[in-house]
Amino acid sequence: MTVEKIYVFKRFERLWHWSQATLIIFMLITGFEVHGSYHLFGFGKATSLHTISAWSLIGLWIFAIFWHITTGEWKQYIPTTDKVVAMMKFYSVGIFTNAPHPFRATVLKKHNPLQRLAYLGVLLFIGPLLWFSGWFYLFFADWNSWGVSKYVSLEWVAFFHTAGAFMMLLFVIAHVYLTTTGHTPTSHIKAMITGWEEVE
Amino acid sequence: MLSKLKIALSTLVAGATVAAALTAYATTASAPAAANAAPPQAAMPAATAEPAKKESSSTADHSKFKALQVKFKTAPEVTKACLTCHTEAAKQIQKTKHWTWEFLNTETNQKLGKKHIINNFCTAVESNQKFCTACHVGYGWEDSKYDFSKQENVDCVVCHESTGTYRKVPGLSGHPTYKDMEYPPHSGKIVKAPDLAKVAQSVGKTSRANCGACHFNGGGGDAVKHGDLDSTLKDPPKFLDVHMEKKGLNFSCGACHMTSAHQVPGSRYTPTVDVNQGVPPHMRGKVDGSNPASCQSCHGSKPHPAKMAKLNEHTDKIACQTCHIPEFARGQATKMSWDWSTAGQLSPEGKPITKKDSGGHNAYDSKKGDFTWEDHVIPEYIWFNGKVNYTLRETKLDPTHVVKINSFEGSPTDGKSLIWPVKVFRGQQPYDSVSNTLLVPHTFGADGDSYWSNFNWDKSLAAGMKAANAPYSGQYGFVKTEMSWPITHMVAPKADALTCAQCHSKDGRLKNVQGIYMPGRGDQNKWLDYAGWTFALLTLIGVIVHGAGRIYTHRKG
Amino acid sequence: MLKIISGFVAALVLAGVLAYSFMSSLMFWEIPSPFGVEETAARIQQNIQNVGNGWTLSGLRNPAKAVEADGSNTLPVMMVEACSTKYSGPILKDDKVRYLSILMPCKISIYKKNDGKTYIGGMNAGLMGKFFGPMVGEVMGHVAEDQAKFVIFDASKPAPALIRGTPGAAGGAAAGGGGGC
Repeated sequence: MTVEKIYVFKRFERLWHWSQATLIIFMLITGFEVHGSYHLFGFGKATSLHTISAWSLIGLWIFAIFWHITTGEWKQYIPTTDKVVAMMKFYSVGIFTNAPHPFRATVLKKHNPLQRLAYLGVLLFIGPLLWFSGWFYLFFADWNSWGVSKYVSLEWVAFFHTAGAFMMLLFVIAHVYLTTTGHTPTSHIKAMITGWEEVE
Repeated sequence: MLSKLKIALSTLVAGATVAAALTAYATTASAPAAANAAPPQAAMPAATAEPAKKESSSTADHSKFKALQVKFKTAPEVTKACLTCHTEAAKQIQKTKHWTWEFLNTETNQKLGKKHIINNFCTAVESNQKFCTACHVGYGWEDSKYDFSKQENVDCVVCHESTGTYRKVPGLSGHPTYKDMEYPPHSGKIVKAPDLAKVAQSVGKTSRANCGACHFNGGGGDAVKHGDLDSTLKDPPKFLDVHMEKKGLNFSCGACHMTSAHQVPGSRYTPTVDVNQGVPPHMRGKVDGSNPASCQSCHGSKPHPAKMAKLNEHTDKIACQTCHIPEFARGQATKMSWDWSTAGQLSPEGKPITKKDSGGHNAYDSKKGDFTWEDHVIPEYIWFNGKVNYTLRETKLDPTHVVKINSFEGSPTDGKSLIWPVKVFRGQQPYDSVSNTLLVPHTFGADGDSYWSNFNWDKSLAAGMKAANAPYSGQYGFVKTEMSWPITHMVAPKADALTCAQCHSKDGRLKNVQGIYMPGRGDQNKWLDYAGWTFALLTLIGVIVHGAGRIYTHRKG
Repeated sequence: MLKIISGFVAALVLAGVLAYSFMSSLMFWEIPSPFGVEETAARIQQNIQNVGNGWTLSGLRNPAKAVEADGSNTLPVMMVEACSTKYSGPILKDDKVRYLSILMPCKISIYKKNDGKTYIGGMNAGLMGKFFGPMVGEVMGHVAEDQAKFVIFDASKPAPALIRGTPGAAGGAAAGGGGGC
């Protein structure tokens, strides 16, 4: 088997990824403190850190969306059913038997089909769930002037926001683990740092 | 090239966003410390503050008035002298609650005021006027036949004198003592007869001590009743009251209770609860019906600086007092309970006894029963919309439950309520066990019927109800009662306001406040938490097992 | 071998984490009181005077007052100070452990917390003593036994009056009772 290197993650993409990862993990930590799960920063500090991270993430996303549109990279998230079953088989069986990876990353297709689906799920479901509920949470004091107080309750806003946070937590755990399933355990991680992915 | 520049530029801006956000956070975090260090600002013009020195800004020196250079024999004579110049003063007073002891709550249609209410302190005025009217702004109110129209019976000096020698002793129907007397009886303490001419010549703006002569002593003694009003406010240190500290703003009571034509605004019978709703904050000098005695009338409803914007978002749900008066009775202990049912225990010689608690406060008095006292009391917190309902003498009560002497109404959803701190005063007091109504005891008097002279409830209650002209079955019991007092005085320095986590935590200050979702209080959906953490744990176990499997098969292979 | 070492290190780390998290509860204790701050302090003072073994009151401190004098608020806190020359004597006589005079007089703190309830806090004298050799260990063991008696209350007895001020603290022997040890 020959190993070659391809340049999959561009500089902005890498910066976006890592700052987003930092912010999301930080928001999980502060968010669950606000939720009351533990004490770390103290409620007041956790709240303002969470809010500031939220604004930062919004800023980051504006740039990311702009970047994806202008570079056409948004196409990376178009879902495909091609090889989905093969990927599942690989993760459940092949990975233990040293079977070859059914997907080969290229510059045009850097995510495997399962990744595409997962990321699309994050983008289209978990993300909006968190943003939408988070937005209501953040502007709780303005509900009266928006005229929505009759239809929305903080209890449910918090419910959906927490539900989204749990989903994001599951995603982070699975995602972090799956980064070790590349050509070597660290090759995906290296790629996200240097941009260069080792592929078989 | 262009795309590279674009990327570099967007990267830079994204970084800047994060950096700016972090800077904003840093300033938020350090703000309380900085705010704490800031010197107190003089928010009020000096004119409304109590004069710090003897020098008066008044254009009249009353000691030079011939009408006051007289040897007054009685206090009403002083009033007559006052009225020679202040022709409308008595008429104004006679329209106030201070004079009538009556107040009609137009919202509930209940007739309130000291004349009508039965509270769970000294209970009722009727039949005990000679004693209670020591705090009436008048003279000679002995019984229910009092003439409320006599102008010379208005007491001007109790609110305006500044010698500190004028004292209305209970039992004299609102008169000061005209000869030196021992008070309380058998205490060995002598109350001197004031020099009425000196008292009359000393008049000026009403000081904290003038208001305090009665309002600090409500309920039968210093610090008994309110919890946020007691004699420590005569000269309060900064920790106790940021507005009244002598070296600071030195507010008089009237700085907030800005009085016009002797009508003092800011009554707890109809408190102004949420200034945000409907009525705009009162501006000083503006003639309207609004209440100047609210925090918002000076501070507005968004008082916190932009750095603490989140706090401004709390003002539509939480009264200022809730955070800024973190505890009441911080100057000295206040009475927290009064159990009339244990009154009447006498010494083996048949003499009334008193007992003290560890702090030296009156814990038992044969005349009154058992008391408890507490300082630095953590208030109870309730939804309150300003509407108060009283259990009056004729109101039917349920003796199997704690009777609410006054119930504060409010709910999280009525759009008018705020979370308010209250002192809840608990006790037991006599009620008619046949008709299930509160009773008026005759406590004070040299006659044979008063409780304090013979410790006989049957006689006392019969006499009290007869004086009140109300039916009494002759059967009495003691019922548990509760009375709520809104906490609004003794505002602490801002650094001592409640912190976020004092409410946003399990078992925090607002743990009993219903109907609202508060993050951090444990209000979250338990099932979502169980499910969420279970799935997270399963995922974690899943990836660990998967990873271990990979390592194992890899080694074997 | 690697497994043994890593296992040992892991156990060491675990022990360290446990010790760190329990340290404060080992060195100090805190119990709720059924009474208010003043009554709790007064009853502890009474217990100290009744327990014998040479115990006398050395003082009553109110650190909250200093905070108030600085223009700020804190919930009530009172410190009952007590001493027994029977225990302080041997320690003060031994040059090697004389620095332990820093722990004298023995203090018990009574304070209100944000739940409105009163708590009693103290130092775990028995455990602390063990760090300083057999003599100190034994003395402090006795102190701990007596301390435990200070906080046993008989609610059926009437509340005693709080003894304010610092009896004996200022004047030493002249102030009587050697209370200021």
